[in-house]
Amino acid sequence: MNPMNYIYLSCILFSLGAAGVLLRRNAIVVFMCIELMLNAANLAFVTFSRMNGTLDGQIVAFFTMVVAACEVVVGLAIIVTIYRSRRSASVDDARLLRL
Amino acid sequence: MSLGTSDTLVYLIAIPLFSSAFLLLGGRALDRVGHLIGTAASASSFVVALIELNKMLGRDAESRGVTQHLFTWINVGSFQIDATLLLDQLSICFVLLITGVGTLIHIYSISYMAHDIDRRRFFAFLNLFIAAMLLLVLGNSYLNLYVGWEGVGLASYLLIGFWNQKPTYATAAKKAFVANRVGDVGLSLAVMIAFVQFGAVTFDGVAKGIEAGSASSTALNAMGAAILLAAVGKSAQFPLQAWLGDAMAGPTPVSALIHAATMVTAGVYLISRSNFVFDNAPTAQLLVVIVGAVTLLFGAVIGMAKDDIKKALAASTMSQIGYMILATGLGPAGYAFAMMHLLTHGFFKAGMFLGAGSVMHGMNDEVDMRKYGALRKVMPITFATFGLGYLAIIGIPPFAGFYSKDKIIETAFNAGGSKGIILGCVTLLGAAITAFYMTRVMLMTFFGTKRWDSAAHPHESPWLMTVPMILLSIGSITTGFIFSNGDRLKNFLAPVVDKHHHEHETELLAPIVVTGLAMFAVAIGISIALAKYSRKTIPASAPTDVTVWTKIARRDLLQDDFNETVFMRPGQSLTRVLAFLDKRVVDGAVSGVGAMTLRLAGDLRKTQTGYVRSYALLILLGTVAILAAILVVTV
Amino acid sequence: MNAPNIEYGILGPILIVLAAALIGVLIEAFVSRRYRYILQTGTAFAAVALAFLQLVLIRQTSSKAAVSSMSIDGVTIVLQGSVLIFGFLGLLLIAERGFQSFTAQAAAIPGSNEEQKALVSGLQQTEVFPLTLFAISGAMLFPAANDLLTLFVSLEVLSLPLYLMAGLSQRRRLLSQEAALKYFLLGAFSSAFFLFGSAFIYGQAGSTTFDGIRKSIVESGGSDQFLLVGLALLTVGLLFKVSAAPFHAWTPDVYQGSPTPVTAFMAAVTKVAAFGAAIRIYYFAVGGLVWSWRPILIAISIVTMAIGTVIAIAQKDIKRVLAYSAIAHSGFLLTGIIALSKDGLNATLIYLFTYGFTTIGTFAIVTLVRDSGGEVSDLNRWAGLGKRSPLVAGTFTLFLLGLAGIPLTSGFVGKFAIFTAAYKSGNISVVVAGVLASAIAAFFYIRIIVMMYFSDPVEDGTSVVIPSAMTVATIAICAVATLVMGIYPQPVISAINSLAFFAG
Repeated sequence: MNPMNYIYLSCILFSLGAAGVLLRRNAIVVFMCIELMLNAANLAFVTFSRMNGTLDGQIVAFFTMVVAACEVVVGLAIIVTIYRSRRSASVDDARLLRL
Repeated sequence: MSLGTSDTLVYLIAIPLFSSAFLLLGGRALDRVGHLIGTAASASSFVVALIELNKMLGRDAESRGVTQHLFTWINVGSFQIDATLLLDQLSICFVLLITGVGTLIHIYSISYMAHDIDRRRFFAFLNLFIAAMLLLVLGNSYLNLYVGWEGVGLASYLLIGFWNQKPTYATAAKKAFVANRVGDVGLSLAVMIAFVQFGAVTFDGVAKGIEAGSASSTALNAMGAAILLAAVGKSAQFPLQAWLGDAMAGPTPVSALIHAATMVTAGVYLISRSNFVFDNAPTAQLLVVIVGAVTLLFGAVIGMAKDDIKKALAASTMSQIGYMILATGLGPAGYAFAMMHLLTHGFFKAGMFLGAGSVMHGMNDEVDMRKYGALRKVMPITFATFGLGYLAIIGIPPFAGFYSKDKIIETAFNAGGSKGIILGCVTLLGAAITAFYMTRVMLMTFFGTKRWDSAAHPHESPWLMTVPMILLSIGSITTGFIFSNGDRLKNFLAPVVDKHHHEHETELLAPIVVTGLAMFAVAIGISIALAKYSRKTIPASAPTDVTVWTKIARRDLLQDDFNETVFMRPGQSLTRVLAFLDKRVVDGAVSGVGAMTLRLAGDLRKTQTGYVRSYALLILLGTVAILAAILVVTV
Repeated sequence: MNAPNIEYGILGPILIVLAAALIGVLIEAFVSRRYRYILQTGTAFAAVALAFLQLVLIRQTSSKAAVSSMSIDGVTIVLQGSVLIFGFLGLLLIAERGFQSFTAQAAAIPGSNEEQKALVSGLQQTEVFPLTLFAISGAMLFPAANDLLTLFVSLEVLSLPLYLMAGLSQRRRLLSQEAALKYFLLGAFSSAFFLFGSAFIYGQAGSTTFDGIRKSIVESGGSDQFLLVGLALLTVGLLFKVSAAPFHAWTPDVYQGSPTPVTAFMAAVTKVAAFGAAIRIYYFAVGGLVWSWRPILIAISIVTMAIGTVIAIAQKDIKRVLAYSAIAHSGFLLTGIIALSKDGLNATLIYLFTYGFTTIGTFAIVTLVRDSGGEVSDLNRWAGLGKRSPLVAGTFTLFLLGLAGIPLTSGFVGKFAIFTAAYKSGNISVVVAGVLASAIAAFFYIRIIVMMYFSDPVEDGTSVVIPSAMTVATIAICAVATLVMGIYPQPVISAINSLAFFAG
């Protein structure tokens, strides 16, 4: 199978993720969409690794997973705190800071 | 013209600068000697200036200028700016005026400010001003000049607002601040044009660049106009003149130093220094003449209607600087006469301000001339010195103002064609009005019947105040003759301002005829004033049944009203162009370069909705735009 | 097979800060609450000072390190030095205990009993210090990274602690938490673009190291579409960090909502780190693609300057004004990258170095103007500050003049250097835009000055608090730096000029 297909797939996943960030209101779901974008990038890395015949891309994929895990820790901490003080995880409710 | 080097110029600036820092940092411990230190610093600087003058006269005319390289300010590889001082024939005139008159005013202030608890701070600011003003006239590049320019601005706000407990003083400082900012925009524009056009910001570099023809005439005219804008702001010329009258709220020695002798003449210095620009920018030069002519009459008319002695003198300063600006606009023939008038004016106007201060000192700080009268008997020295200044300013021979003003009128007539005739008539009319309002000031203050109430006990001022006044009045008697005898000042300055030795242009009127006309104009002015003010008694309050013209003149020719109607109404299209003066800017409700920017800002601001998702959308749109652009650009 | 060689010496500065951050975590976990503050501050200041010392010792280094995933060269040394200095100044502000800027307990619900109790008892959690150290180490790694992977990891090491620090404000907890949420979501969003772009660059170049990318561009001629798509997406990630338009929208909200000491730290350190990384990418890795990226950066630079200066005029909150001013400064700094010359490199480093001091000083002063409810950031209430406390207003004026780039302040030197470099490289359009934007910008700085001096004070409880020696020291250092580098900048300029070279 042509490895380019995986690149197309990763582009589709990335776009889905980006669309989700724009369309969903719940902070957790928005954050999951961002994770989807990161994983799309991972897929691209692994595919390019295969196409180039070097291992660098696969290593990057592992690191990205670790970084994504760290992001989850920080992100959930922030989202949970804001949920506790507002009783709402909607990103549209958080707009005291503007103009 | 070749330039030598010197390693002593820096002391001129360093002495007052260190003295100022010392007085400010020394705190209350120096309260008892602060005024002495400050005066000594200024005097030492004057002595250094005399030594420099002596050295300069020892060199031959073409190589009198010297420079001192202090340090490399900014060197960014391909471009370098040095902190270098330049002392040539033009700067030495200013240096001597600043330090000389400055020292006299320091001495005067010792007594004048004796009862102020912050006298030490006052002297620190005076020293700071002297240092900044010296830097302004000694910088060898537009950028160094700019630093001094900002410095005198800073020092003058500190001094005008010195008594800032009173709200009117703070307002005055604010007005001066804004007018000066507009001027600064002009100067920074000029620096940028010089940088872009010539890759240099030194006077020398720009002059060479112009000679090499590396700039279009449009660029030169733009640079000239920018310089003129700077001069207009600093020298209180039309249409940025409104701040000068209000700036009189500061202590009187400040008015004498800053608003008569030195800072307000910085614009004249800037234009004279930039002679190489204006000589090649005829449009800008014409603008200079127009500004000078308008201000000359404007200031004189306002002067006729003022009852406040300091404001009358301020209006007269405005008008006299108008003469100088007009002269600088007349090309090589005019620079030297502008300088001559500047120097003589420095003496007689500073002397008159000190005289006014002396009167106020004796009259419990009363400034209304309608409450003076008959003071010549109780204040004989003040009367004599003020009177000599009066004779000088209206241009009675052989006093100083006669020589300098007469030369300007003569040059104006010789400007050629209808321009010459118009300018000549304007200057003559100005001379007549000057004679009128100065006679009025003399009559109302020193002659007639006494109009002060019983609470006032006018008395002559102490010797620390009268001695500087006497010295300045000697200057107003002698300087004119000294400078003009054998065209001494003109020849002295020629290597700087008239490098190509322009031939004398054809004379429209013989000098003697011009002098005669001027005398006639002065005589008319004096006689009208005598007829109006010496016969009948002057009412203690300003009469209200006057013509509409008098009312307009009393209101500073509606300059504030003018600013308000033209610059404040937001709907008017002019607002957007000239919104600088918009009072609302000052008051802080809004700011900016005009209503349009503000509206744009308001609209753009709305993009900041507060929604995370709309920010994310912005990021996504930006990404798409960059992707599209990079592919279009490359592929 | 041998284990790869790690150059501990030249990586020392980063390792010291990282180690101290880890020690900080341990202190937080195991040491009794009473000693934590003193231990945490001690560790943090000592680590930054030690790291700086080590940096001075290795200043002549110019080599790749850690299997060429990092490049420790003159440019890195200058940038890391700047990060350490600004990190130290930021820490001084964060450590201020004369008045509270940080919440006692980040996890407590605003207005809850728990929070009240923590407030009353005066207990103060100290997790902000290890977080700051982590951010500093990330900021030191970021400009040193010589490899897309290291670049991504260091970006996250820099950003993640900052997201949390943004939410630690004591007053106005809701605003602060909202700032953290916004910063986090948008930051993660942009780093996804960054990573996706890295993937494409890797796909074309076959290597993640900058040297490999550089070589591949030379060989392929640089017209490959994967490479261009990758570069575009990578650019988005970087421009987000430097807050260039249209990726700037987070800046005002986050600057306003964060505790002011954190804003000061973030404004200076992030800018140095992000521009440092951008310099290495555009000058070194993708320098061969200059004809592709230069027009785009020119457009972005001009838009950024325009948006920053124009919107700032309509702001009423001092921290938002400063945020927009930071955006405008990003536009000015981009002109240094556009120049793509040794002059441009020098100028960017000089600009970053001078800007950091001025901006930290500005925010430090903002922490001082307070009423009973905390900081007063409403501009109208700053009216008459010049009469109330002339010294504070005077220093603030100096900083504002520095930001405006008036001669005799360091801001002028930076602006002059960077515009000269751009001008010499033939990019007149950005210079003209930059000069115009500076002129407009001067108006809103001067407007604040006018307000402070020429308006009458409003009696509404606004006052200037007397800070402890730490804030005083920060302000004094920043003021002296702003003034000295304005009057006699040559030593700094020469030092940076002689250091600023990339390792081949």
